[in-house]
Parts: sequence; C-alpha cells; structure tokens
Amino acid sequence: MPEQVAVVGTGQTVFRSLDRERTFVEQAQAAAIRALDDAGLTPDDIEAIVFSLAPTAFMGVTEAERWAVDHIWAGGKPMMRVHTGGATGGSAVHAGYSLVRSGMFRTVLVVGAERMGETPDAQYFLNQIWDPFYEKDLALQTIVAGAFLGQRHMNIHGTTEEDFARVVVRQRRNALKNPHAHLKGEITLEDVMRSPRISYPLKLYDCCPRSSGGAAMVLGDLDTARRCGGRPAFINGLGGVSNTVFLGDRVVPAAEMDLGGVEEHRIASRQAYQRAGITDPAREIQVAEVYDPFSTLLYPALESLGFCDPGRAAGLEKEGAWEPGGMVCVNPSGGTLCTNPIAVTGLVRNIEAARQVMGRAGDMQVPNVKQTLATALGGSGQFVNVTVYGQDHH
Amino acid sequence: MNIYVIGLAIYPPAERIMNERLEEMVYTTTRAALDDAGVTRGELDNVVLAASDEFDGRSISSMLMAMPAGAYLTDEIKVTDAGAMGLCLAAARIASGDFHLGVVASWCKSSKTDVEGLMRLKGEPFFTRPLGLNCAVTDALFGRAVVERWGIGPEEINDRVLAAYQRAAGNPRGVRHRVPSPAEVADSDYVSAPLRQGHRAPMTDGAVSLVLASEEWVDAHPEREPLARLSGVGWATDGYQLGRERLGGMHSARIAWDMALKRAGLGSASEVEVVEIESQTGFHEAAYVRAFELEGHPGLSPSGGPFAQNPYFCSGLVNMAEAVLQVSGRAGPVQVQGARRGVGHGCHGFAQQANIVAVFESVEA
Repeated sequence: MPEQVAVVGTGQTVFRSLDRERTFVEQAQAAAIRALDDAGLTPDDIEAIVFSLAPTAFMGVTEAERWAVDHIWAGGKPMMRVHTGGATGGSAVHAGYSLVRSGMFRTVLVVGAERMGETPDAQYFLNQIWDPFYEKDLALQTIVAGAFLGQRHMNIHGTTEEDFARVVVRQRRNALKNPHAHLKGEITLEDVMRSPRISYPLKLYDCCPRSSGGAAMVLGDLDTARRCGGRPAFINGLGGVSNTVFLGDRVVPAAEMDLGGVEEHRIASRQAYQRAGITDPAREIQVAEVYDPFSTLLYPALESLGFCDPGRAAGLEKEGAWEPGGMVCVNPSGGTLCTNPIAVTGLVRNIEAARQVMGRAGDMQVPNVKQTLATALGGSGQFVNVTVYGQDHH
Repeated sequence: MNIYVIGLAIYPPAERIMNERLEEMVYTTTRAALDDAGVTRGELDNVVLAASDEFDGRSISSMLMAMPAGAYLTDEIKVTDAGAMGLCLAAARIASGDFHLGVVASWCKSSKTDVEGLMRLKGEPFFTRPLGLNCAVTDALFGRAVVERWGIGPEEINDRVLAAYQRAAGNPRGVRHRVPSPAEVADSDYVSAPLRQGHRAPMTDGAVSLVLASEEWVDAHPEREPLARLSGVGWATDGYQLGRERLGGMHSARIAWDMALKRAGLGSASEVEVVEIESQTGFHEAAYVRAFELEGHPGLSPSGGPFAQNPYFCSGLVNMAEAVLQVSGRAGPVQVQGARRGVGHGCHGFAQQANIVAVFESVEA
C-alpha cells in the first residue's frame, strides 16, 4: 500500500541578487535548518536527501551538491540531485515524494540553493541550453523564448502588452507581504509599460530578477506527519511532462502542444487532478503558485491548467479573479516574476503552496484554503510539473 | 521490492564514437531496449534520465536528450549524480504505485570532454580548487588510504588490473582493449603516486537503457517475460572533505551495500553469484572486495567492469545491465553458470564520495 506523503516543514532564506553573507553551501544549510526547525525535527531524523540544483554553470562549481553534503548533514545517507532546468524544484519534490510514497524512506529533505548573482551574464549560459547546430546561433535564450510565447498568445487570443503588465502590478503588490521575495512594491501599469524594452512584448518589468538564496522542504510519511504535529500539507496529486525542445515544432499545425498555450500544463495538471480527485480546479483549488518568470507565461498557464477557457485569463485578471479573495488566488507570494533563484524556484512555488494549506503563510495567508497547486517549468518551456496539496490526504 | 527489468540495451562502446551524435546514440539504445522489452514508447508512463550537463557540454542536457530517450509527452525527471542513480529514482517511482512502465537511460561521451578540466571544476573555490584536485589526484589519495589501511602491496593492484583486462577481453559488449603485459601495468608512468596510468580503466563512450515495470504491469502482461526482478537498491554519500577516514573508510559503500542487500532479503555476498563492481582503478577493486567481503568471490565482475567499457558517467548503470544479463542467462561468453542473483555497483564523486548498489534476481529465484 503506497504511503501518504506530507509536507511537515519548510524553510527559505531571503532572496536577493547576491547573498554576500553566505556561501552556496551555507545558503543550503540555512534553508535546511529552517525547514527542520519548522518540522520540529533534527538532522538525525532525516533518512534521505534530494538536492535541487539546476545548471551549475551559473556558479561555476560542478556537482556543487557534493560540496554541500556536510553542511546539510547528508553524510552517510542516501542523496540524489535532480536537475530539470527551471522545473528542477518541482521535480525534486516529485522525486522526494516517490522516495516516501514507495516506502523506501520515512523522511526526506528536499533542499537546494542558487547563486544567480555570481553569473556575469545568465542569458549567455541560457543560450547554451539550445541545440548547438540549429538553434543556438539564433541568439535564443529564455527571455526571447518567453517573448515568442507571448507573441503567440497575442496573435491567437488578442492579448495585449497592457494585459501582461497587469500581472506584474498585481504580483509586485502581492510580494509586499512576502518576507522572502526579491522584488516587491506598488507599481503602476504605466511603470511597467515605460520600462525599457527587452524583447517584444517583454519589457524590463515583465521579466524576473536573478535571485540568490536557499530553500528546503521536509517530506514525511503519515506517521512522521502525526509525530510532527500541527497541520501538514498532503501531496495528493502530481503530474509531469516533457515536450520537444524545438520551439518551431510547437507552432506548426501538426503540433500536439501549442507554444502559445504552454499546453504542457494541460497534460501535467490532468494527471495531478486525476490523482487528487479534482474535477473542477477553479472551484476546488483556492491558491495557485504558478511558475511565471515572464509576465507572458501566466495567462496561458492558467488557461492550460483548466482555471478558465483559453483566451479568458487576461479578462479575468481585469475582473480581479486572480487576486486574494478572487476566484483563485494566483501567486500570493509574488511568484517567479518577483523571485527567481532558478535551482529552487520550483521548490519555492511548492513551499508557498504547501504553507497555504498548512495555514502558515503569514501575511500572505488566504482564508479557508483546502487545496492548492504549484507548478514548475523548465527548458524551452518543454518541462512542466504540477503538484496538488491538500489538508486531507486523498 | 517487486520491480522488474523487462528489457535493456547497451550501446556498442568505443574509445571514441564519431559517427553518431549523443541524441542518436541514446535514441538507438533506448529504441533497442524498448524492442527488447516488446513495448512501444507510447506505453511508457515515465522516464528517468541520468546525465551530466558538464560531460554533455550543455547547460541543460535533457532539453535535447529527453526526446531520444523516449520521454516525448511523458513524465520525465533527470538526476545528475551518476547513471546508476537513475535506477534508484526509477525504482522509487515505480514502487510508489504511481507509475508502472518506465525507462531509465544514461550515456556519456567521455571522448569529447576534457575530463580532468571538468573534474577541477568540481572543487569548491575556496580551498579545494586552488590545490588542483582532479580525478587522478583524488583517486591517488584514495589509493594511498586503501593501501595503508589494509596493507596492500603493489603486486595485488597490478594483478587485479591484469585480471580485469583478461575478463573484459571475453566480453562482447566491451571495447576489447588489448590485455597489457604485466610490465606495461607495473612500470607505467605515475599519474599521481601511487596511482599509475596502467592502473586506470580507460574511458570510453557509451550508453545504456533499461525498461522497468511494476508487478501490476507484469501481471497484466503475461506475454512479456521479465528479464529480472530488481529486489533491492541502496545508495549513500560520504562527506566532502578528503580526510583519512573519509578516503579509506568505505562508509558510504558499506551503507549502500547493506541497504540494497537488506531490501533484497539477503545477508551477505555469499548469497549472490555475480557482483559487478565499478573499479575505476585497481585500488578500487582492492578496496571494494574488502568493504563488501568479496575476497575470493568467483563471480567478481565477470564483464570486466570499466576495463571492458567505461563511459565514465554511466559505467555503474552498465554494470547493473550486466548483472541483469547474468541473472537472465544472456551474458554470453562471460556468463556465470547458475547465476540467480547479481549485484551491480556504481560510484561517483571525488574519491568515490558516493556509492550505489542494486540487487537483481532471476525471475525464478
């Protein structure tokens, strides 16, 4: 009989461009300590570790997780590193979930850190992710890919730059209540529209920052959850999908997943909903932490997640549907637009979703939360994973 | 654990594969594994990749490699520790009950990589990297610690290397290196004392894929006869600092070994007929036979291990595939007669910081 899997503790550092007070391994350690304290556990209680670490090129230390072993008390224990690009943090949660769900281990620490600020030019390395023969020389990087995606959504659904800008305004405001967020503040639509052009339709404020910091989550079986006390968040459903790397193959008539809809979310979420017993996500999920490094990503993601029909998300934004108190509260933490430490961004999305269920989201807490959702996205937008959290195990 | 290996393929290795891109190697290998299992890509519900961005020369190697490995529109996760770690996660995913049919794929084109340059980048930047630590130096530190701990003489190291080459010479899935003369091993240049060039398994290019299925899937498909049952996996890591106890203690090796055997319901090496060890040097074999209590074991690395082929990142998973071939009676000229239980081992990190062990049983065992 598969084990129930619960989040029993989480921890994050404050995210900023460059953490000058801590090294990489100390960032991971700080997050691990906070997660263990949150769970009321000690390092000896942890049976296995999943390390969440995306490209090491940003920091220039390969296999940096090996360096962190002693700092996160992993010596003598099973540890594995997961890396699926931007989707890494979500994949790491899924790996940790499987280790507990399978009965292999009763407690797993999912932990990671990122030092994006040490990268002279992150987008240089994010050009190296593309095919070396066909795409790399096109000066593709993730900003351009996010821009392409936005253009596709604009062409299909008539979405405007102002529509995308509203996402930024709402999420920067949400982030004011998040003590860990990197960017936050009251800004106007005009501020976003007047910010420097990066890649049409993206402007500076439509893009996430490069963030540094650490994050950790402790997963446990049902006995562990009972021992830890408090209100855990149960992982009731998960799904993931990988698609072709080639952007062009996702805009042709024969494409099974359209680039403009980031429709990978549809496959991943349907798997997660089926496992969690969710049939109407807009009614059954109260909070969604959606991976949106660019403002262009959110609307198609919400549509493919089934929260509304294709082309409706921007209109619902105007109506306040994604605000706290709206139909579904989307990214009350400020989301990836406000904080993007790539190695752990997906993990942060999962932490924020879990904490809403646990009732420990502080000033970000949305009332009467029963079920939440977290996503992570990576590569050329080709890797998507979805995780559903609930107060009760399914 | 009731997880089954229902198909596998090992890419024909070479010192340098020039005629195919990584994508083509992995497609060829995974397609062959699926054909071996008698299943199609569309039937898969998950894929686990085990790959190194740094060896592959890409910042997120799975972006291009996931599709050739069968992951198109499938739930896929990549681990980066070593090929053998992919098997651990794949096993956990199937044992979770959420997945029933998956592929684990790993590969390495060592020939296109400045391996020692890459290894130097593994050092943390404050203390370790300025020392110039690399694979040769850390393996030599390991070798020295092992020799001192157990009083091993150079003759044993040389003899183990020669025996490994001889076993590898009979393995049709290996590169078939020429077996060196005793003098070529014993008198080869030091790369970092006490490690000589002749003590090291030559690196090769290669790839390997296995198809795993749940018990539920196997029960529902009686026409697909499994090759082997994966009855136990174990893995563990040691600390980062290369002190004497860390280097010679073999702690993570023993923990991984004990964990895997315990999950398989076994107590010692005497209960398995085959043990495929990732011996990157003669010192490794000398250390592992002692840590795992394998001295005199008749089924020690019949494939030749890394001395047969050594696609560095995935050599451990190749060992596991060899163990499956043994317990399924398909190991060919290196078959150990009567092999019912086999162990595959992999290691990774500076001076074998971490170890992975998997136990396979014949389906009749």
